[in-house]
Order: sequence, then C-alpha cells, then structure tokens
Amino acid sequence: MSLMASADPGVSAFPDGDSLFAWLGTIHGAKGTVYEGLSYKLSLKFPTDYPFKAPLVKFETGCFHPNVDQYGNICLDILKDKWSAAYSVRTVLLSIQSLLGEPNNDSPLNAYAAKLWENQAEYRRVLHKKYSELQK
Amino acid sequence: MRSGYAGNESPARAESSVGAISHQNTAETFTDGAESRPLQSVGDHSVGVSLADNTLRTSVNSVSAAVGDSGDEPTAEIVTSTPTHVPNEAEDVSRPTDDQIIAQENSIRAAEAEKRPFVGIVEPLSALEEEYRQGSAVFRDKIRSLEMQYGSMRRTRGDGNCFFRSFMFAFMEQLVQNNDIPERNRVVTCIRQWKAKLVAVGFQEMVFEDAMEIVIDQLNSLGTAESLSVAQLEHNFCEPMLSPMIIMLLRMLTSAEIQRRSDFFAPFIMGMCDDEVSVEQFCRRYVEPMGEESDHVHIVALTNALLVPIRVVYLDRSTGAAMAGVGYDSAAINHHDFVPDSLGESPTPVNPRVHVLYRPGHYDILYPLTVTAANSTQIASC
Repeated sequence: MSLMASADPGVSAFPDGDSLFAWLGTIHGAKGTVYEGLSYKLSLKFPTDYPFKAPLVKFETGCFHPNVDQYGNICLDILKDKWSAAYSVRTVLLSIQSLLGEPNNDSPLNAYAAKLWENQAEYRRVLHKKYSELQK
Repeated sequence: MRSGYAGNESPARAESSVGAISHQNTAETFTDGAESRPLQSVGDHSVGVSLADNTLRTSVNSVSAAVGDSGDEPTAEIVTSTPTHVPNEAEDVSRPTDDQIIAQENSIRAAEAEKRPFVGIVEPLSALEEEYRQGSAVFRDKIRSLEMQYGSMRRTRGDGNCFFRSFMFAFMEQLVQNNDIPERNRVVTCIRQWKAKLVAVGFQEMVFEDAMEIVIDQLNSLGTAESLSVAQLEHNFCEPMLSPMIIMLLRMLTSAEIQRRSDFFAPFIMGMCDDEVSVEQFCRRYVEPMGEESDHVHIVALTNALLVPIRVVYLDRSTGAAMAGVGYDSAAINHHDFVPDSLGESPTPVNPRVHVLYRPGHYDILYPLTVTAANSTQIASC
C-alpha cells in the first residue's frame, strides 16, 4: 500500500488484475546511470507463505544487465537467501533499480554485459541498441 | 597439495622421484628436474606419495640408478597413469558452479530438516545417548555429564531458525507451566515498548504488528479461563503460518537491538565476517533473513532485547574443560550464560530462564533436573 501512495522516484507497482498475489511493477533507470531514460516492466509473484518467502520477481521487458539473464531472471541476494520479511515491494523495486546502476560483476548471469561494463560508453551504446530492438 | 608434498620429502627423495617421472616420459627432460615438476603437481596426492615410496629405495643411489631400476618397477604403471590427470581443465568445464553446489547442499539440508517438526516432543536425554551410541567417546562421556544436570530435551527443526524457536518456545512454555504472571507482565510490557524502537530503526509497523499482537495475546491468556496450554503452545509453534511470524518478530527485535547499540556490537560484527560489513548490513544479511543461523551476537542481542537470561550448553568434541579446583575433566560440559546487561549487575547470581543445547550448527531445548543456583561463567554479557 505504501508503494502506491508513495512518491518514490522511478518505481511503481500495482496488482495485476484481481489477484493480489501477482503484481506488475515499473522501474525507471536512475539518473546519472547508463539506464537513465529507460524503463522496464517487471512481474512480481507472491508465494502463499509471503512475506516469509521472497516474491518471484522477473523482468518482463528484456533487460541487458550483468545480473539479469535472457529470461528476465534476476540475481539479487535479497530475492533469494537474504530475503527477509522486512522487505516490501517498494524496497525490492528500489533495490533492483539500484542494481541496474551498480551491478555485481563478480557473479554475472550475463557474462558479456559484465565484461562490457568497464567500458561505459560502449555499454551504453549496446544497451540502448538492445533496448530499442526490444521495443519494436 | 604440491607444497605439502614437497615440504615433507627430503631433498634426495624428491629429486629421485622427479627423475623417475622424467625418464618414463621423455629422455630429454630427465636431466632437467624443473621441467618435470609440473607433472608432479597435476598428479593427485596419492600418486605423488606412491612415487615417493617407490623411489625411496633408490634414494640412496644416484638419480641415474633410479632410472636404470625403474624399467620393470611398478613405478612405470603409476607414472604412465599420471598424464591422464593432466586434463583437469576439461573436468572444470562440467564441474558445477559454487552457486549450484550451495543450492544443492541447501536443498538437501531443507529436505532433511523437514523430516523434523518445528518443535518436537519432550524426550529423555537417553534419546541423545542413543544417537551417539556408535559415536565418539567424548560425546558419550559428555552426555553422561549432561544427564547429571538435565532430565529431558526437545529437539527443534534444524532450519537455521532453531535458536530463536528453541528460545521462545522454552521461555513461553516455562511461563505457562509456572503460571508466572509477574514475568509475563514484565515481558508483555517489554514487547510493547519495542514497537516504537522497531519503527525507529526502519521496520514498518504493518509488517510486525500482527506477530506482536499474536505473541502478546498468547501471553495475556495466562491466568484467564482460556489460558494457553503447553499443548496449544506446541500447536502454535508447529503451525506453518504462526511459527514463522514468531521467528520473524524475534529476528526483528534482535536486529533492532543490534542497530540501536551499534557502537557496542560493531567490534564483534567486524570479526565475524570475511568482508567488511556495516552493522546495518550485518543485520540485513545475517539477522533478519529467515534461516540465517544465530551466533553469539544474536544471542547477546536477544537476551538484552527481552531481558531473559539464557544458558547455552555446548556439546562438542572439545575436551579438557577447566573445573575449578579439580583440574581438568574431559567429560565436563562447557556452558555460557548470556545475562542481560542490566541483570548482570545484580549482586545475586542470575538463574538462566532458558537452557538450550548447542551442537555445532544447531540448538535444541534442554530441561534442567531441578532449578539449582547458577554457577556460571558470565562472559557473554560483557
């Protein structure tokens, strides 16, 4: 609830249809990062034992990022073993937003993106190319 | 492995074994010990050792003597098998990643853990003895010592939440059994006061208020017509929705206590993690997530958060616990009392309210035979 009411820059989420166990979220790339100006749709599925188990969060818009695979799966510790009930939809989306700008290149799902990250200009070029391809 | 091997051998033995390898492979490299060394390092340890043993007999002779002898020696077989160990890189390709190994270990552990209820039945300590019947004598001796002080135990599920679960169950069970209204009143007030402190460190009230009310309601039922019973408590702690709610609340209290007194806890946390983590990061990663195991930091924090003294009895392989005035007794059981700071200042010894049995990686509940005066090492309250 706090999410729909809050005015966090760049993240939002709403229940997907009638089910409260499935939400759709949107993340805008944070200012000052190569993701600035891009926006991504995500799906959030809540297990029945939520909030004791993490929601299943996936990118629905293809996302070129070191810690996101081709199916949209996200490698982020708080969505796995470091999940705690203290996290909310809002904090999850904000964490993913900050992951966009600060990837963990030591354990990449997308090795190409991880390698390219060092060269930010080239990374931006490839990122925007892939992003516009996916919008078609 | 290589350095261990090389370090244990005398120079003569090492040199002659190198010579033997070289000879079997190429004659040219025979004179060059350095070149053949990598072969040794890729072979596994057992090969290295048997080579050394085979060539031991020749070590008193010159290297060339070793070469001359080795034609019909078993060395030949061993050496020719050595190169098959070389393509280790090929094995690495199919080797599971660290993450996969961890995931598999976790799933095995989860499957094992689910065979046990969250909180088990009361068992006599002889059940523990039975468990170690085939085990180490140290454990058997220690269990016999344990039986002098404790009559029974309850096992809890080893899912990483066992400390919190053991603690809270044992604490509440004792309140129920003794119908301890003064202590109940104290702890209910204490829990209520935590509401503001939890909010202050950033927890949303919405997340913990239900859990808090459930625990308080259960405690408040004591002394009424519908008083909580031990059977009801067992049911609540095994209920798949209630049980994690209680654990979550305790994890939040622990986290908030650590963050509230971060100056005190920071030095302990610094020594616990490989990478440098802040107090807040420690709480996010190692306290709040379900299934993260509890260490002394968690225990010190929880005992202070709820002002409940805890005794942790260690059943491990260590021997020679110091007994005051008696010298050393290999079967003596170590224990540590975790006493809240404010109670630790009292002139009379503080009796632990909760006793847990710690075996490396797991906590179960212990029931003392009789309430005896605490003769403890109050180290944990610092």
